[in-house]
This record gives sequence, structure tokens and C-alpha cells, in this order.
Amino acid sequence: MYVSEIVVEVKKKKYIIKTDRKYTKTDEWAKLEDGKIREGITDYAQKELKDIVGIELPEVGKEVKKGEVIGVIESIKATADLYAAVSGKVVEVNEKLLDQPELLNTDPYGEGWILIIEPSDPKEYDELMTPEQYAEHIKKHAEEGH
Amino acid sequence: MARKTLLYDFHVEKLGATMGEFGGWEVPMLYKSAIEEHMIVRTDVGIFDVSHMGRIRFRGPDVMELIQYLYTKDMKKVKEGWMSGPTLALNQWARVKDDEMLYKISDEEWLVVANAPYREKMINYFKKVIEEKKLKVEVEDLTFNLAMIAIQGPKVEEVFEKVGAKEFNDLHTLEFRYNTVFAGEKIFLISRSGWTGEDGFEIWAEPPAMIRIYEKLLEAGAKPVGTIARDTLRIEMGFVLGEHEYGEDPTRFPNAISLRYGLGAIDWHKHGFAGEEALRAYRREGVKWIRVGLRFRKKDGRVVPRTGYKIYIDDVEVGWITSGTYSPYLKRGVAQAYIEAPYAVFGETVEVQIRNKRYEAKIVDFPLVPGRPVVK
Repeated sequence: MYVSEIVVEVKKKKYIIKTDRKYTKTDEWAKLEDGKIREGITDYAQKELKDIVGIELPEVGKEVKKGEVIGVIESIKATADLYAAVSGKVVEVNEKLLDQPELLNTDPYGEGWILIIEPSDPKEYDELMTPEQYAEHIKKHAEEGH
Repeated sequence: MARKTLLYDFHVEKLGATMGEFGGWEVPMLYKSAIEEHMIVRTDVGIFDVSHMGRIRFRGPDVMELIQYLYTKDMKKVKEGWMSGPTLALNQWARVKDDEMLYKISDEEWLVVANAPYREKMINYFKKVIEEKKLKVEVEDLTFNLAMIAIQGPKVEEVFEKVGAKEFNDLHTLEFRYNTVFAGEKIFLISRSGWTGEDGFEIWAEPPAMIRIYEKLLEAGAKPVGTIARDTLRIEMGFVLGEHEYGEDPTRFPNAISLRYGLGAIDWHKHGFAGEEALRAYRREGVKWIRVGLRFRKKDGRVVPRTGYKIYIDDVEVGWITSGTYSPYLKRGVAQAYIEAPYAVFGETVEVQIRNKRYEAKIVDFPLVPGRPVVK
């Protein structure tokens, strides 16, 4: 299936936003798949973190709340928290990332997915940012910050 | 507002660097990947823009008296055309104001390279000492007139041959040439020195000439390397950095002996330098802390120890990490740390608290990457 994308350009840097999913203010993406939510970090997040060298994943079965810290991403330069995009139960984590955390840099929307949550409140997904809203969000951040 | 490196436009327009702040300057953080850039320096050859470093000139009949007072190393032994250092400038508590390299042009003319965040502080300090001691020394800040690059890596000599500068391959480590021509460009200085543990050179030149030199070096195969890789390289080697391993505040930093600086940075035969009294008292009493290296286990994977993480032995807190990173060369976490002296035993294992878990690490000496040529 062809997935279209939005490209945000700020200060010579390009950030890709996929239009088939929704976004958090803390730079995670969430994609609805058969009633479950697959989550990862955005292209903007991976470009901000740069060389990602490690990740701490939550345990499968863990109940999480929207906005809660559920993992940690380590880059050469900094440590970043990973937040739950929605509330629910963690039903799967991408263990491949433990050996190849660089997948978060090379393919953040695909092979670099982080976990799957079975949502407890489907409304929360609807409340996440649309791709267009997220485009505005990172444009503002990238211009202000770096 | 951070100052911009003299080569700012070149990095952004030509090399597509990601810029960021370091020591009050906007410098290239990385070009593409800090890990790749790190490995380029270890296996090939890379170029750093280090124009943010403070470069200061002392001139006058009393220069020797000044520098003998300022630094812990004996500068009388240095020959013209040679560098000395790193050496330490101490405060009254024997804490380190800065670690610096000195260059002897003549008895009455020396150059100093200071760390970027301490440049202004050091210049003010130099002027204060000169005034108090009524010395005839002129202090000149060259930082804004001259760009500086470091070209580092095992293949540096090949690159110099390609750019028509092979005569500099004859320089010994810590030897320099002053007011010379490099690859057809007039330069202020070239020295065989660096801060990566690899063979390499540092060049000072006016910005237009430096950009032409930079382009020639790139064409000959050298790659641009950013400040993130510079930091991971120096941590692997166990080189200290101000605000991490040392600083003036006695409540945050141990005295200079705890640094275990090595390289003859402190010359105990020398007398009459600033901070000496406190330093010798600590030497007699013994030190509470020792700076050591920590190497994490490869099986713990991509663990990244960071500044401030606590160190334990059997639940007793015995120290803290001053600088840490994931080592691209060793593929595991490495760190520099202060550990209480009775526990600082090479080969022993400690535990480092990283969020909710403790990870084992072995206490080791520097460099953390064995077998690297610290000097040629």
C-alpha cells in the first residue's frame, strides 16, 4: 500500500511524517492496527537524538497509562524517555531493537517500531495529534530550539 | 548567545553540519553520524574544527617567571619549537582552574591553548597575576583571528603526502613549526599533537587560508568529524575535560592529585607555583578520591553510563561517574569515575546504578581502549 507522507523542512533539515498514523507531543507515533496500537518514535525524534545506541523496553503484559514513561532511549549524546501514546496493556515489544537499536535511526516508522499496546480506552487514539498538527508542532519546536 | 566558530558558514553551507553549543560556542556537533566519525578517527583520518579553543600569546621579558608561577610543570626544560603539557593551573585549594598546552616560540614568547569555557576566566587571571607581580608580559588573545583544526588518525601521513605537505611528517610528537607554509597556504602554526589518542596534527591559520586547507584535506580523503565524536574519543582515552573531571569548586571536585593526570603534568621538583602549598599538603596526607576508568561488560550490551551516576560496592556508595559513553570502539559502556581511594583497585568490580538497575563494571587504568598510540 502506498503510504503518503508530509515532509517538514526547517533550517535545511527534513523531517518525515507518515499520514497513516497519529502523534504525541513527546514525539511518538501511534498506528491503529486491528484494534491495537503500534508505537514508535518519529523521524524528528530520531534526528534530534542522533546516534541511538540503546533502548530499555517495558515488559510484555505491563499495564500502562497514556503519557507515562514506559522506556528509555539512549543515544551517544543523551538519554530520552519513551512515553505511552495510549493507555492499555503492552502485548508485544520489538526485541530486535535490543541488538540493533540503530533501527530507530534508520527506519523509525517501520523496522524500528517499539511496542504494541492493547488500548483500554479507544477514545485516546482519536485525541492524538493528526499528521498535520504534528507537522506544525515540530516546525515550531525545530525553529525555536535548534 | 553562543559565539560562532570562525568556520561556521563553511560547516553549515558546505559540509551540512548539525551545529550545537559547546563551551559558549556554536560548533559542529556532527556531520552525519557521531559513531561513524568516531571510527574514522580510530581507523582512518578525520578533521575537527577546534577554533573555539582559547589561544593566547604571552610576550615580554618576564614570561618565564609568569609561566613558572602559573603552572605545575617545569617550563624551564622546554626547547624552542616544542610544546609542553598538558599542565595544570591551580587555585589555592589545589583544584584545577584549567589544563593547558604551552608552546615555546622563544624565551620571551609563548603560546597557550586554553579550554573554550575557561578562556576569559584564564585571561583575567593571567592579567591579575601579571599586575600583582609587576611583571612585564603582554597577554594577547588570538582566538578570534585564527581558526584551528585538528587532523587526527592513523592515515594522517598519507593525507599530508597527497596535499603536498609531507615535510611535516618529520615532526616529532609535541614539536611545532611557526609562521610557515602548509600545502601552499601561509599558516601561523602546525604542531604534531591532538586530543584523540591517535597520531595527528593541529594547524592554526587565518580563516580564508584554513578553509582552503580544509578543502584540500577533504579532497585527499580526510573526513569532517564533530564535537560529539571528539568527546567519545577523549573519554575512551581517559583524557579529562573541565566541568566533568575537574573544576575549581572544592565541594564538587577533588584536588589535582586525585586526577592522576600523568604525563608529568605536575613536577614535584618544581617550587613556587600557584596552589603548591595545598597540593603538597594533600600529597603528604593522601587523597580521598582517585580517578579511574570503568569498563562495562559487553554482555550488558548498549549500556550508557552518564555523568553523576553513582558507584557501589556491596551497597556502599564509593564514587561517581564523571564522564561516560557507549564506546564505539569497544562496543560497550565505558566511563571515567572518581572512586574513594581504598576501593580504587584495578581489576576489581563495582556496580553502577543506571536508573532502576545496577550494572557491573571493572575498574581499569587508562586508556580504556588498549593499544592506541597516545604518542608516536
